[in-house]
Amino acid sequence: MTSLKRSLAADPYSANISSKVFVRSTKSGKVQKIVRELYLRQDIPCSSKLCTSCLETAPRDAGGNLPPFVLSATPAGTKKYRSGHYLVPDTNALLNALDLFEQASAFYDVIILQTVLEELRNRSLPLYNRLVGLTKSEDKRYYVFFNDFRLETYVVREFGETINDRNDRAVRKAVQWYGEHLSKAVGKKAAMPAVVMLSDDKDNLRKSKFDGIEAISLHDYVSGLENADQLLDMINVAKEGREVRDAKAAQNLYQEYFSVSKMMTGVKNGTLHQGKFNVSPYNYLEGSIHVPAFDKNLLILGRENINRSVQDDVVVVEVLPKDQWKEPSTKIIEEETMNKDDNADAEDGEAVVSEKERKALQETVQKVHQNSFETNPQPTAKIVGVIKRNWRQYVGHVDKSSVSQSAGRKLQTVFLIPMDKRIPKIRIRTRQASEIVGKRVLVTIDSWDRDSRYPVGHFVRSLGVLETEGAETEALLLEYDVQYRPFPKTVLDCLPKQGHNWVVPPLGDPGWKDRRDLRGLNICSIDPIGCQDIDDALHSSRLPNGNYEVGVHIADVSHFVKPNNAMDAEASMRGTSVYLVDKRIDMLPMLLGTDLCSLKPYVERYAFSAIWEITHNAEIVKAQFTKSVIKSREAFSYEAAQIRVDDTSQQDDLTNSIRDLMMLSKKLGQKRMDAGALSLSSPEVKVQMESETSDPIDVKTKVHLDTMSLVEEFMLLANTSVATKIYDAFPQNAMLRRHGAPPKTNFEELANQLKVRRGVELRTSSSRELADSLDRCVDPNEPFFNTLVRIMATRCMMSAEYFSSGTQGYPEFRHYGLASEIYTHFTSPIRRYADLVAHRQLAAAIDYEPLDPSVRSKGKLEAVCKNINMRHRNAQQAGRASIEYYVGQSLKGRIVEEEGFVMKVFSNGFVVFVPRFGIESLIRLRDLAESEPESDFDAENYILTTSGSREVKVELFQKVVVRISDIKEESTGKRKVKLELVRTGGK
Amino acid sequence: MPLDTSSYSLALLRLDGRRWNELRRITAQISTMPSADGSSYLEMGNTKVLCTVTGPCEGGGTRDRDRADIRVELAIAGFSGVDRKRVGRGDKRVSEMVSTIQSTFASTLFTNLYPQSTIHISLHVLSQDGSLLAALLNASTLALIDAGIPMRDYITASTAGSTSSYSSNDESADPLLDLNTSEEQELPFLTVATLGGSDQVSVLVMETRVQAGRLEGMLAVGVDGCKQVREILDDVVREHGKEVLKSGRL
Ligand SMILES: [Zn+2]
Repeated sequence: MTSLKRSLAADPYSANISSKVFVRSTKSGKVQKIVRELYLRQDIPCSSKLCTSCLETAPRDAGGNLPPFVLSATPAGTKKYRSGHYLVPDTNALLNALDLFEQASAFYDVIILQTVLEELRNRSLPLYNRLVGLTKSEDKRYYVFFNDFRLETYVVREFGETINDRNDRAVRKAVQWYGEHLSKAVGKKAAMPAVVMLSDDKDNLRKSKFDGIEAISLHDYVSGLENADQLLDMINVAKEGREVRDAKAAQNLYQEYFSVSKMMTGVKNGTLHQGKFNVSPYNYLEGSIHVPAFDKNLLILGRENINRSVQDDVVVVEVLPKDQWKEPSTKIIEEETMNKDDNADAEDGEAVVSEKERKALQETVQKVHQNSFETNPQPTAKIVGVIKRNWRQYVGHVDKSSVSQSAGRKLQTVFLIPMDKRIPKIRIRTRQASEIVGKRVLVTIDSWDRDSRYPVGHFVRSLGVLETEGAETEALLLEYDVQYRPFPKTVLDCLPKQGHNWVVPPLGDPGWKDRRDLRGLNICSIDPIGCQDIDDALHSSRLPNGNYEVGVHIADVSHFVKPNNAMDAEASMRGTSVYLVDKRIDMLPMLLGTDLCSLKPYVERYAFSAIWEITHNAEIVKAQFTKSVIKSREAFSYEAAQIRVDDTSQQDDLTNSIRDLMMLSKKLGQKRMDAGALSLSSPEVKVQMESETSDPIDVKTKVHLDTMSLVEEFMLLANTSVATKIYDAFPQNAMLRRHGAPPKTNFEELANQLKVRRGVELRTSSSRELADSLDRCVDPNEPFFNTLVRIMATRCMMSAEYFSSGTQGYPEFRHYGLASEIYTHFTSPIRRYADLVAHRQLAAAIDYEPLDPSVRSKGKLEAVCKNINMRHRNAQQAGRASIEYYVGQSLKGRIVEEEGFVMKVFSNGFVVFVPRFGIESLIRLRDLAESEPESDFDAENYILTTSGSREVKVELFQKVVVRISDIKEESTGKRKVKLELVRTGGK
Repeated sequence: MPLDTSSYSLALLRLDGRRWNELRRITAQISTMPSADGSSYLEMGNTKVLCTVTGPCEGGGTRDRDRADIRVELAIAGFSGVDRKRVGRGDKRVSEMVSTIQSTFASTLFTNLYPQSTIHISLHVLSQDGSLLAALLNASTLALIDAGIPMRDYITASTAGSTSSYSSNDESADPLLDLNTSEEQELPFLTVATLGGSDQVSVLVMETRVQAGRLEGMLAVGVDGCKQVREILDDVVREHGKEVLKSGRL
């Protein structure tokens, strides 16, 4: 009988095989024990250019290529390490100060250990991704050393040793090995670079000292560098600070978070709820969260209940008992004015809720109680834990009043006021306080402990002086996470080699394969003035049978941008082009966007065409799609095209074909309206710039022309046709766009306002009904009233989103606003990535080319959708913010009186919308007169009556005249538009 | 969670420290169950399987009167995987593997020598860590040799994969040899078996998607792996033979 037991000694491999056991929990909450083999080896190179012995055994890929060695033979030295040094950071060093490692001035030749990389991945995925990015950049010389696979540096966890201690030991061992290995490699002849462990862990530092390993704390290391002051600020002070405070035994201000398992169980059995935390733009002490279990959003009131959550965090909440349910507050509460005098440095004796805040909140609550008998309050909740922090980098400015001028270059704590009002102010420890006052600065939040009223963060870099164009534009781009750096070389390498000299090849070239020659058609494009990236062009011609042939021709971007190359990856990451008042940030390099893809007039271009046969009554007889070559006859501006159409003396073919298109588009539009498409509105203004100085000189509201509807109508038609086609071809993964029907509760407030103020009923059960009742919202004396209601209704809508068809049932595909069963984006591939994906899918659907797997993979497509949805939203917000900023700039030093409309009434102020400038702003009671007037707020009728120092009666939807000026607030150094009430009623 | 397969590009090392063309440790023994006609125990990394062969015994030849039937039974222990779930006989994956093994050996064994009889191959999976079908084929080969059933040559199997997933469509992907579970979950892979370490492929199974361009490289690596496996199994058989001779059990 043979025994199955293996004799270990006889196995030649046994010394080199170890196993790794770890436990992981699955999404469904199961715990799995994973056993993984580890093959320990001696041929993992040190990757130092000083070493020759590793070169022979270094691994090669399947093609036989040897990855080049990374670490420089002559690394930079510091005062302490004169003959150069390699850095080996431990996990904490990276967690606390990854910003430092990304600096261009220092931190070269860094060895990242596998142990550290794994630990970092567990602690923070974004940081991990940033670090992997660093290891891929050639100039930083970061090398990932797989110490856990190398026999000499592998460390077995000892009995009773914590995993952290084991990891720290592994790091020390690797540092030690590197030192010994290099000294062997270099020999005695030359000075050897030091291998230095960077750590913030005192225990780890102490142990390395004991073992004789070169180690230094981040702080000490950075202090020895040249620009130490700047760099020191980037070290996460949170940890250091905490140690100091622990000694003081400060009391905890906030409730402790539940453990993860407690939260998970709670969410599972329905006692707790999970959702994304949102802060009210009018009241920083009021947040809301949408959870599936409740129709209405859950309100989270006050600092204690908000419990250290920041906008966009994914949190878990507990619903409060019904007697504590409340109405959303009708009062404006701004952090700026509330806690102006907080001391940034004060750590003890700090209460969570300041006396002022308590008072402000109480007042609103009382109001609610007075009329609670007839209104139904909203459920309230408190936050018991955070599942995922969605902290990003924030742009803001330092609160001047928190800076001590006498401190000089001493380390001090200051407040940073973020641009985004929904973000609380952030405590920053810095030595450069006096330099960064008055600048736009970028910071990150590091932590928010229970004993600190505000989150603690650190300074990253300065963008420049407040209100300078460069600083404000960059601030805006950073705030909305727009990728604005120039395209890297790898991306530019994907462009056609001929550059601007590229032309459509002569007929017969392989490029013509399966392309229709449409150069003979009367095609033209109609766009805004000065448009360079022309995505679309149109044509129409009459067919012998009396019908019309109409074509929409879209730039053939997918011909130039192939899936999965660097350019595609970049475009997919950018997701969309971003249009600011004075700047455009392209999704694709200029060469393509404004030249090779752009359907410029008089030159041949590749296009992707949708061609329909349409009857005189705008019935679609048939549709077909083809790749093509076109030659646009003319690039019109909307205005020019309109003039040409209106001028009856123009009877050429081109103009007549535009007239045909116009006629058809009106019929198509009518059909959509009959089907219940909504005509929504958002304030649209245009900033006119002085061409020389690019200073804003005037603001104009956009005029609507028929030619705009013409283009829009046919683009909608193209998008809908393409959506149907790609969904037929790829039912599981077509790239589509949907617009969900808004939940009824979204319109409750607006409906009530209209009923109370105007006696109009807003019906919202279908888009058709909504469209009709919006049409009825007219005030014969006030033409703008209808637009105002539409603007407000738009804000009650859901936002449209991209999705992959496999993730939703067909009824959910519906585009509510357009009243279309199915919809996608096809017509702007130069500036939207979704359209590019649709192009690839359509090309595959008509058998032009096979579908790339990346466009077919469900997971990948979902990730793309998620990203472009976010980018799209950010781009819109950035565009709006840019207009807002320039409107402010154009008003600089001017005082204008304009008409406005009351959009929202609070108990201590109201919001006025000024159509002329597309701005809305708050007028608070205390802005009405020198001494704040008495007030009486009638919440049911939305009327605010003031008495005493000033007597006015402000009603919702009322027309008012306001004086617009700009002021620079001394406390914050920020310029903003200020509205003052001149009188109620029109001019 | 440890790193995932995307870390390969950082240092050309796989999740368990192997390079692209390295097999895991393979150990095997034969005649582990004296009561059976032939038996073997085989480990490929943490994939561990037992095989017993009974027969040829009388009865059978139901399909073809001139040949022996081959019956394969496969039992996967509930504790063999991460999830501790029972795998029934009706499981689709199990019956597919059974039929692959059955048809492979039907064409390799000289079944015509045993008309109207049956050869039973019974397989037990004790632990799963990827390349399961390959391990089952290898263990069966050993047990059949142990049982002394004449066959054309060794059937040896291994798996081959690619370092980047199908959807990432990375052209610089390296082929991989002998995948473990976590690699199988994330990457495209195929199972290949060859006859006697030649280039003659007798089994090729692939259930994941991969770009056609990468297939050739994967196949080459897989076939090369089979050759290495054949050497290892051959050593096991010869070693066992020597021991038997020494102990004079013949
Ligand atoms: Zn070396």
